[in-house]
Amino acid sequence: MALVPTLTINDTTTFSDAINFTVTDSLTVTAPAQSLSTEIVTTTGANHTIITAATGIRYLFVRHTGLTGADATTASTARLDVEDEDNNTLVGISAGEFAFFPCSVAAGSKAIQLQSSSGNIKVEYAYWTKG
Amino acid sequence: MATTTATVSISSSDLMPGSNLSINASSTLMKTGLTTGLEVVEMGKNTLTVADSHKALYEGGVAAADRDQASWVYICNSATDDTYYIEVTLHDTVIGSLYAGDWMFMPYSQGDNAAELNLEAEGGTCPYEYALFATSKTLLDSDQA
Repeated sequence: MALVPTLTINDTTTFSDAINFTVTDSLTVTAPAQSLSTEIVTTTGANHTIITAATGIRYLFVRHTGLTGADATTASTARLDVEDEDNNTLVGISAGEFAFFPCSVAAGSKAIQLQSSSGNIKVEYAYWTKG
Repeated sequence: MATTTATVSISSSDLMPGSNLSINASSTLMKTGLTTGLEVVEMGKNTLTVADSHKALYEGGVAAADRDQASWVYICNSATDDTYYIEVTLHDTVIGSLYAGDWMFMPYSQGDNAAELNLEAEGGTCPYEYALFATSKTLLDSDQA
């Protein structure tokens, strides 16, 4: 099974020379995998384990929707932390931001969890295991 | 206004029978506060050998004014041998392993000068590309009299 992630970064206004590049990849992936899912993340990371501890590399996509999840409009400006099970922060994600990276804390032997800095955050995430 | 836009799409035609995967996310990269676009960009390419051991790609916010600011980092392992990878760590916390041809893109807040982003080549020499999009970069005092 192949997963094709593509990143495009574009900027035509900041500098006298435009930034415009695209990078893509073709990843061989296998189970376990989690298709795009939502989670209402609280300030207790241990309640929001999204990847259980298991050997291997997980390609992880996480997006902070900018919402609390209470309804479709209530905004969240809290910071979303992607952590290992020991509460070490791997990535801090602000409202509207996302991350995509190969996640393998201690070769996958530690679970990955999400935690809000305050209040609830509606989060989208998905992962796939490197084949 | 500075407007740097990052878009990631993740697709697959064979993950699930009868259902193509298509995830798209886009974000305008903003300074802390979400009203002004990022204006500092550092990018380049380099080579990392196994003998190099851990090397800091970024030293975190060396100047206090640059700490805990919105930043993003892009890293791509340009090696062609499938067994070569770059281990990426935030100080002593492993984030992940970037195999040949793989890339990552994520926020990086440069929390303090102990929040350095490290790279270590494993298996063999890894050429890599990188870019940092940052809120600020304070110039340090010169040693020149």
